[in-house]
Amino acid sequence: MDKIHVLIIDDEVEFAEALAERLELRGYLPKTADSGRGGLEAVGVALPDVILLDLKMPDMSGFDVLVEVKKKYPTVEVIMLTGHGASSSGIKSMERGAFDFIMKPVDLGELMEKIKQAYRKRLANSM
Amino acid sequence: MKNYFKKIKVFSSAFLPEVHTDGGYGRFRLMLFGAMFLISFIPLIFSTSLSSREHRKLMEIQEKEQLVLSIESARNTIEAFLHELQSMVKFVAEQYSYDELLGQNKASELFAHLKNQYPGFVDMGVIGPNGIQKKYAGPFRLEGYDYSNQDWYMKVLARQVDISDVFMGYRKLPHFVVAVSNKLPGKEEYWVLRLSIDVETLQNYVSTVNTSPSQDIFLVNHQGQLQTKSKIFGGILGTCPFFTHYQKGETVIHYPEYEGKKYLRSYAQVKNSPWIVVIVTEGYMHGEKWSSHRFRVRMIFLGCTIFALIVIIQLVNTITNRLREAEQNRNQAVIEAQYTNKFASIGRLAAGVAHEINNPLAIIDQKAGLMTDLMENSTPFEHKEKLIHSVTGILGAVQRCKVITHRLLGFARRMDVAFEHIDTSDLLKEVLGFLEGEAIYNRIRFEMSFPDKLPMVFSDRGQLQQVFLNIINNAIDAVGKNGLIAISAEPSGREMIDIKIKDSGSGMSHETVKRIFDPFFTTKEAGKGTGLGLSITYGLVKKLGGKISVESKIGEGTVFTVRLPTNDVQNEGNYSG
Repeated sequence: MDKIHVLIIDDEVEFAEALAERLELRGYLPKTADSGRGGLEAVGVALPDVILLDLKMPDMSGFDVLVEVKKKYPTVEVIMLTGHGASSSGIKSMERGAFDFIMKPVDLGELMEKIKQAYRKRLANSM
Repeated sequence: MKNYFKKIKVFSSAFLPEVHTDGGYGRFRLMLFGAMFLISFIPLIFSTSLSSREHRKLMEIQEKEQLVLSIESARNTIEAFLHELQSMVKFVAEQYSYDELLGQNKASELFAHLKNQYPGFVDMGVIGPNGIQKKYAGPFRLEGYDYSNQDWYMKVLARQVDISDVFMGYRKLPHFVVAVSNKLPGKEEYWVLRLSIDVETLQNYVSTVNTSPSQDIFLVNHQGQLQTKSKIFGGILGTCPFFTHYQKGETVIHYPEYEGKKYLRSYAQVKNSPWIVVIVTEGYMHGEKWSSHRFRVRMIFLGCTIFALIVIIQLVNTITNRLREAEQNRNQAVIEAQYTNKFASIGRLAAGVAHEINNPLAIIDQKAGLMTDLMENSTPFEHKEKLIHSVTGILGAVQRCKVITHRLLGFARRMDVAFEHIDTSDLLKEVLGFLEGEAIYNRIRFEMSFPDKLPMVFSDRGQLQQVFLNIINNAIDAVGKNGLIAISAEPSGREMIDIKIKDSGSGMSHETVKRIFDPFFTTKEAGKGTGLGLSITYGLVKKLGGKISVESKIGEGTVFTVRLPTNDVQNEGNYSG
């Protein structure tokens, strides 16, 4: 199986980097972006397979990023990963095309499982 | 400082009104009673006394009129009788001359003839100009008697016709005299024809006039001497005590008292006679009829009073009870609203805190995870094992925090509910299945008693599971080893069912029961419970349109009752929750 490209968009840099490093140790190809715009740019530079997207960021909300990404790259799967786990946000995300909605802090094993599922879906969709 | 506490007290009493405010109702009840009593009784008393007085007045007037009528008719009758007598005597005096009557048997013949026509006549006398009785016809020997200084003789000379008072006279028997004086032809001298009449005749006559047994009718002369018998005052020639009050022209005089009784009397002068006819009657207003009438009126009044009092008391009680119930319901609603409000604000606060904590918690989690990863892949170094152990401890603590924040968010979250018809018996069996392991370990027995035809509840399966899981989990903790948990269900009303979960634990104090649904309230040791389980349960049951209540007694265990709707209509609005 090819290595999965994961983009982590989160203004909590410490979190994003630590998570990226751990994913890398487990054979993923992660990148990080510390803002919504930065994330969109990074998507434009190199298309990831799965995006882990925070909801509350200072420059732009996760919803907007999600809508933007899905508009341009419908096959990229986005998993919302946020501390603000209201179910209304979850529903809103799913309606906008997110693959799943996970509340921080998340068990790494669980997260990897979700990433794999998302990747499989992406593969299936892009064929 | 003191003032501050006072303020707090005032504040809290303003927002937490006491449920038992019976003192105020006692006064209210009394005031209401007083007001209703006055409203109903003032008109009753007023109308009763007014009508009674009017009735009395009317009766008095009627009584007087009646009496006036009686007296007039009595007078007319007696006058007619006397007129007849006078006419008869006058006729005789005119028909026969003095000399004729002095003839041998003329007077006796005439008298016999008269007596034949009119048996009341006792005797007849012809009196000469000198006042000496010249001729006498009758049962007594009165010829030659001198009448010249008798009252009636003087009067008859003056008036030509006279009716005397009743008197004893020479015969020593009560009688009265009708006399006529006539001029002797050719002279300035007068002779007198006198007929005396037995008083019995007069008495009989008067008696026939009397129609009513309650009336006393009699004749009296101007000196107050009784001329006929009186039922009240006695026999002929006795004294009538009322007579001293007689004034001319007055017909009816009010109640003078005689021997403790009040009488109504009326008078009338009998024309051409020395007599006054008197009717004395025990007035209606003072007789038995009046007192029995008054008794009846009083009884009716008393009856009305008792009836009104009963109605008023019933009414006042009903009103007061309704008001009290309404206030209690309102207070209950206020308390519930406060509780709900408290939950909502605590929920919002908790959610806010949880959101803020989740992010740093995620950082700690990842950093510590990374540390573990790195250490696992590194060569052995000093304290490596100890470090790994410490980091594992950090990760464990993060896990605990995560459970709390996620639960808090769950508590605050407006969860989506999917309503369906659920068999509570099946659902509870499922829940007990989850808990089997722990129950077996602690040797806890479950007893389920569900009626055969229990209606399905209309609810959300997942949330209902969580509700019962929470409650039964608490029960397991409460009963300890070898405990018993009894679960039963029964319909409550038409649209609800009650599910009771009873444990054989040690029970809770009143204070604990009061706070049992408060968030973060726990009786478990630190680290064992979050204190959110029952708060969440409370919120869930409420959201599902149900109610949860708890009863507990120390030493007897605790019963949780979950009331759930079976009817889907009342929950329609909550679908999108």
